Amino acid sequence: MWTTKTFLTKTKRGNILKIVREHYLRDDLLCGSSACNICPHKDEEYVLDSKPDSVCALFDYPHYLLLDTNVVLHQIDVLEEDALKNVIMLQTVLEEVKHQNTAIFQRILEVINNKKRKFYSFVNEHHKDTYVERNPGEKQNDRNDRAIRKAASWYALHLSVNNVAGQFPQIVLLTDDENNRKIAQEEGIVCCSVKDYIENVNGFVGLIDKLSKNVIPETCSKDALYPAHFTPTQIHTGIRNGKLYQGTFHASRDNFLEGTVSVNRFEKPILLQGHIGINRAVDGDLVAIEVFPEEEWRKPSDIVLEDKADDPGDLLEEESALLSSAKPLDSSKDEITPTGKVVGIIRRKWRQYCGILMPSKFPGATRHLFTPAEKRIPRVRIETRQSDVLASQRILVALDSWPRNSRYPLGHFVRALGPIGDKDAENEVILLEHDVPHARFSEAVLACLPPNDWTIPEEEIKKRVDLRSICICSVDPPGCTDIDDALHARPIDGVTADGLKKYEVGVHIADVTYFVRPNTALDKEAASRSTTVYLVDRRIDMVPDLLSSNLCSLRGGEERLAFSCVWEIDENANVLSTKFHKSVIKSAAAMTYEEAQITIDNSSRKDEIARSLRTLNALAKKLKQKRLDNGALLLASPEIRFQVDSETHDPVEVQAKKIMDTNSMVEEFMLLANVSVAEKLAEEFPQCALLRRHPSPPPANFTTFLKATRQQGFEIDVSTNKSFSKSLDEAVLPGRPFFNTMLRIMATRCMQQAVYFSSGTLSHPDYYHYGLACPIYTHFTSPIRRYADVIVHRLLAACIGEDVTHASLLDTKQADSICDNLNYRHRQAQYAGRASVALNTHILFKNRIEIESAVVLSVKRNALQVLIPKYGLEGPLYLPSDKFTYNEEEHYQICSDVTLKTFDELTVRLTLDSTNLQHRKLVFQLVKPHVPGFSYVPEDSGMEVESVASAEEVKETPIKKRKETKQSKPKKKSKNQ
Amino acid sequence: MPGPDLLSSQGLRLDGRRPNELRRIRCKLGVFTQPDGSAYLEQGNTKVLAAVYGPHQASKSKSTTEGVVVNCQYSMATFSTGERKNRPRGDRKSQEMSLHLRQALTAAIKTELYPRSQIDIYVEVLQADGGAYCAGVNAASLALIDAGIPLRAYACACSASMAWRNGEPEPLLDVGHVEEAAGGVVLTVASLPNTGSIALLEMSHRLHMDYFKVVLSRAMQGCRDIEIILDKAVRDHLAEGWTKQDVVTI
Amino acid sequence: MAGLLLSPTEKVFILHGVQDDYRSDGRSNIDYRPMELETDVVSHASGSARLRLANTDILVGVKTEIDVPKPDKPDCGKLEFFVDCSANATPEFEGRGGEQLANSISNMMQKAYHSSQAFNLKQLCIFEGKQCWKLYIDILILECGGNLCDAVSLAVKAALFNTRIPFVKAALMDGGNIDLQLSDDPYDSKLLDVGSAPLLVTLCKIGDKCVVDPSAEEENCSVISLIVGLTGDRKYYYPKDADKQQSVESKCTTIGMNGPGSVAPKTLKDAINQGIVAAKSLDEALGQALLKERQQNIGIKKHSYGFLK
Repeated sequence: MWTTKTFLTKTKRGNILKIVREHYLRDDLLCGSSACNICPHKDEEYVLDSKPDSVCALFDYPHYLLLDTNVVLHQIDVLEEDALKNVIMLQTVLEEVKHQNTAIFQRILEVINNKKRKFYSFVNEHHKDTYVERNPGEKQNDRNDRAIRKAASWYALHLSVNNVAGQFPQIVLLTDDENNRKIAQEEGIVCCSVKDYIENVNGFVGLIDKLSKNVIPETCSKDALYPAHFTPTQIHTGIRNGKLYQGTFHASRDNFLEGTVSVNRFEKPILLQGHIGINRAVDGDLVAIEVFPEEEWRKPSDIVLEDKADDPGDLLEEESALLSSAKPLDSSKDEITPTGKVVGIIRRKWRQYCGILMPSKFPGATRHLFTPAEKRIPRVRIETRQSDVLASQRILVALDSWPRNSRYPLGHFVRALGPIGDKDAENEVILLEHDVPHARFSEAVLACLPPNDWTIPEEEIKKRVDLRSICICSVDPPGCTDIDDALHARPIDGVTADGLKKYEVGVHIADVTYFVRPNTALDKEAASRSTTVYLVDRRIDMVPDLLSSNLCSLRGGEERLAFSCVWEIDENANVLSTKFHKSVIKSAAAMTYEEAQITIDNSSRKDEIARSLRTLNALAKKLKQKRLDNGALLLASPEIRFQVDSETHDPVEVQAKKIMDTNSMVEEFMLLANVSVAEKLAEEFPQCALLRRHPSPPPANFTTFLKATRQQGFEIDVSTNKSFSKSLDEAVLPGRPFFNTMLRIMATRCMQQAVYFSSGTLSHPDYYHYGLACPIYTHFTSPIRRYADVIVHRLLAACIGEDVTHASLLDTKQADSICDNLNYRHRQAQYAGRASVALNTHILFKNRIEIESAVVLSVKRNALQVLIPKYGLEGPLYLPSDKFTYNEEEHYQICSDVTLKTFDELTVRLTLDSTNLQHRKLVFQLVKPHVPGFSYVPEDSGMEVESVASAEEVKETPIKKRKETKQSKPKKKSKNQ
Repeated sequence: MPGPDLLSSQGLRLDGRRPNELRRIRCKLGVFTQPDGSAYLEQGNTKVLAAVYGPHQASKSKSTTEGVVVNCQYSMATFSTGERKNRPRGDRKSQEMSLHLRQALTAAIKTELYPRSQIDIYVEVLQADGGAYCAGVNAASLALIDAGIPLRAYACACSASMAWRNGEPEPLLDVGHVEEAAGGVVLTVASLPNTGSIALLEMSHRLHMDYFKVVLSRAMQGCRDIEIILDKAVRDHLAEGWTKQDVVTI
Repeated sequence: MAGLLLSPTEKVFILHGVQDDYRSDGRSNIDYRPMELETDVVSHASGSARLRLANTDILVGVKTEIDVPKPDKPDCGKLEFFVDCSANATPEFEGRGGEQLANSISNMMQKAYHSSQAFNLKQLCIFEGKQCWKLYIDILILECGGNLCDAVSLAVKAALFNTRIPFVKAALMDGGNIDLQLSDDPYDSKLLDVGSAPLLVTLCKIGDKCVVDPSAEEENCSVISLIVGLTGDRKYYYPKDADKQQSVESKCTTIGMNGPGSVAPKTLKDAINQGIVAAKSLDEALGQALLKERQQNIGIKKHSYGFLK
């Protein structure tokens, strides 16, 4: 059967086109029910049970459920529960869901793919008996509702054929649309609202809690607290004629009644204040705003305002305090910011939020408030009957709607993460809030793995270059189990034309792509995760443990597959030739940096490993010098590691990471390998090579930094990376050894992020890596923990003919989308890592108070940002405005004879403020220089609390050190950037 | 992956076909009286007319003793595409298509039978919805038969593209406009199915060698399917013609 | 047509027949040969029609585009005629061979539709002075069996009758830009008022008399033909309110002559009157046929026969 669909579209040039598409109707589509006597099903094609058990008290006979679009869109959390089975998903519904919300579409697909759930997706739009044509004057929605009803009655009829009455399942249509229900009943279709159905489901505790409280927000005009939002058409028109602007709403971290929206036309972000000004926008939403006339513009309030602890009911207040304080008092023009209000929401960007429940004061109540961990998200009103249990738990909540008459948005409980304060629960929060995929690897992924006792097959060895006889060793941080690189160096015969000695140096990288084949479930999972995430006490692997810690890890004394990059290098570290090949190696030793350093320094050791390491070390120093001469920057960021208690896994001590020559040795060769690979790829695949670039920072980034250095008497030249590097080297203060490091830490913060990109998307000069001062760069050396390297391996293997390419590898567009995901995941992984450090720092300081030396990083209006070098900790030291005066021009704070400016060294006292369970924070207090009435005075000299002084057994973290906490910022400690 | 959406998880394409199905093909021979042979063919929403004049004496400059000169012209009605075309022919694309038509049809015609002669084949695309060239070849084949010109075989053309279903490559047969516009590869093959030989092969975009074979074999399968349809149309036409027209005119 | 050879006796036979208002195929001088007409044959186009008059085969497609009106006529839309002589009709049209004929026909049509009494361009206005519809009327000549102009004008009128213009809401924005909003309902479209659209009647002078719709043989006997463009009558196209409308006199919108011969003024006047009579019956027949077809196809989808018949 054949029909056509006709519709009109507007082209980019503003023309209106008539488009006609073919639409084939089929008679070979199956209904998927085991009770069916008509369709020619094969055994595996039965999805729906012939006698499904009813879980709902309202319908005590066997039945299948049929959902309408809104049920899927709003009640996805209910559908994800195991309660409802034997559900028919119509194509009409799926397409509408896909069109409206891709995230929910993905989730419903997951459910459909879960065989146990018995969700059957029925292609009603192409079935000859269920396709409905749109009638003249009928709205698209009405047509779709009609299609759903048509499918429902078709199923009922279809199943009744050749079946004894009462012996076959009925169809129950779930819909919350009253009108649709009415028509359906007239047509003889059994239907029910979701709420009625779910409330009568037996045996699934907590299912009701997951019901979305979706109400149409604009209809609740009774007792409305908020002004109504504009309709989409009004917004559209408003934006078109320039009266409204659209932008992403960013809530303030400090003041819950304030937020901003960045709009192109205005230099400063538009300020939004108060409940009415924000009008139910939530951080991240795409909103439409109206900007007030200039005389109503305000300055951002500098007060910190948090929502009150108790439940105020549905009232709005606190406006006055905020607004009066924000009135332009001194009317200094600079401070005035364009101000406006939210008039409509274009698209909600709601996700699920972690947080804690604030149980209602009335026992037995079901309505409670939820406080999210993210400060920028408002509290949420949820309904649950399990408040006693949940009160002490970290929970996950989804937002449903925000009606006009509710002070808070309405949401529903999704799941509990664990007890508050529990390490696992807190880690879970970090992972969820940073969108780190951390579920256990699925069966499909695990099925892609080789068996546990896998050994290298003979034929594979024959295909590869056999390097097992060569003395190769790996150097890594202590406790590292995912060893992805190993090195060797040996003198070779002959001399160069200049009479220099020649060496053969090899970098051997774990051959992950041998195991991770393109387009397998394993590959897709790795691509989605993009990177291994290192928390302080947990590692979220990109590939399953069998690969990351065993088969791919280049462990000492074991035969492993590797991808080798081998150079001939003369003794002045000039590369004479480069070769890439797949190989099989046997690492002679897996060493830590420290062990390697000892081996090098111990002149009595004359064995092959020691000689090899010494050669490598000598060459690395020359390579590094060359790099620095080219203008590579040596930057720094504070890095610390925790020592944790072996039993509680709580951190007991913290120390800065030690840096040895060997760190730099490994780093230099990894850089060299990455650059060599990048050059090769860009040559072979000009359109789709995956590279990494680090854009030069715009000069504006340096303004504050330069002001601060000038105060210290240094003129830093930031015009090029070379001059920058040089002037950083020269900026040394005798007697303050830490000053130069400080300078570099601050310089690091002026940098842009380095990003992955596909060579086809940019022109050659843009490939430049600013931090490393090299024209082209990529990541090749850590395929176990970075997906970028996996792609690079595949590309390189294709270059040298060791592997076949596949279509998606060569597609620029796709390479670009991979890069986007890589960059996003890496950024999130970094943030998650930092959040984990913060969490552990808080645990560390739970029971202690310390007095430490600190350095001022920057000067703010009401605070100093200080850094404790010992812990790498950073935080605000608040200064009361009645004592200190702030000099805006020169950025310093002054109180009688004490001046505080950037780079000043102070002594501070550290304590942990645990009054707010979700937002515990470290409190810094000034000790020295002494400001009367403000500085903390130790009561007696021996006050310092050293609770860890006891001889507790301290142990290294059981995981690999995070090699790159600030992954994209070049720094001297990380071994490959 | 380019165009993962071309196939639904149930294995149906955007228009409801399965990957190995052709679009609906309807055709008719002898739609006009003046040309020596003519045919109309619909492949989904793609509609073409073909007319054949000849064989007749070739102009001096073109004539060869080796065989008949096949002259083709491909033109598209200005209203055939979504956005109006300004010129029906003479643009680069039509000229290229004219050459491709000639390439495919010359292979099918027994050219050696008519030295110093010429056959004119005109293809007019009334509606283009993807695969207009293929429909043109198929219609021209019918028109040639209608004109009574001896052929080695039916010249059939069909296109194929690539899609993925659950990570497995699944070539799509007879690509429509929507699928073409999705940006994937389109492989067009004109072949003489009963000899199994390929008269013309053209590919847009990039396709990995690994998949070339499967896509090609799918397109060839399509050509064979089309041959069956064309053959049936010819037989029906002849049967009908004998019973109606000719009897009356005799 | 080229290659048609008639003996003097045959010519005389035809001439005498015309003189007696009884033509060689049995028609009178103002009779047309039977025609086949079908509308909505090209689904991509906003309107289309295919007309077959004896061996003449015409396909017309109407496409819409949004355009800016002419400054001197801010409330009017635009019409553009384009004729393409397909090489399918005859090998002579290959390449640019048919261009001359095509241009002469499209000019004729353009002139015939130029008058505001022939076609009201105001119905194509979207926003005065800013935006209007431009209709591209593309005429494809697939087979030539004589009397092209008449067939083209009939097919064009039918295609316009079939044309649906999408319904758009226009609003004036700041900065003088127009914002168009399109309804998502494909049924939301309007039909054109084409009742008064002109038809071309070719009058072929044979001897002292004229015939309409000459066969190829008759064309061979004639040295000159006259083409008259005459407006139609709305009442044939709007049956419901037919009684409210009076019959309007046909108006002549264009006259053209074609051929090497000459015409006496008296013959010319007779010929025009003869054309008016012929056009009127033609218009009526077309209106009836189109209305009948529309009634059979309520909605916008219909089963199209096209060339499959």
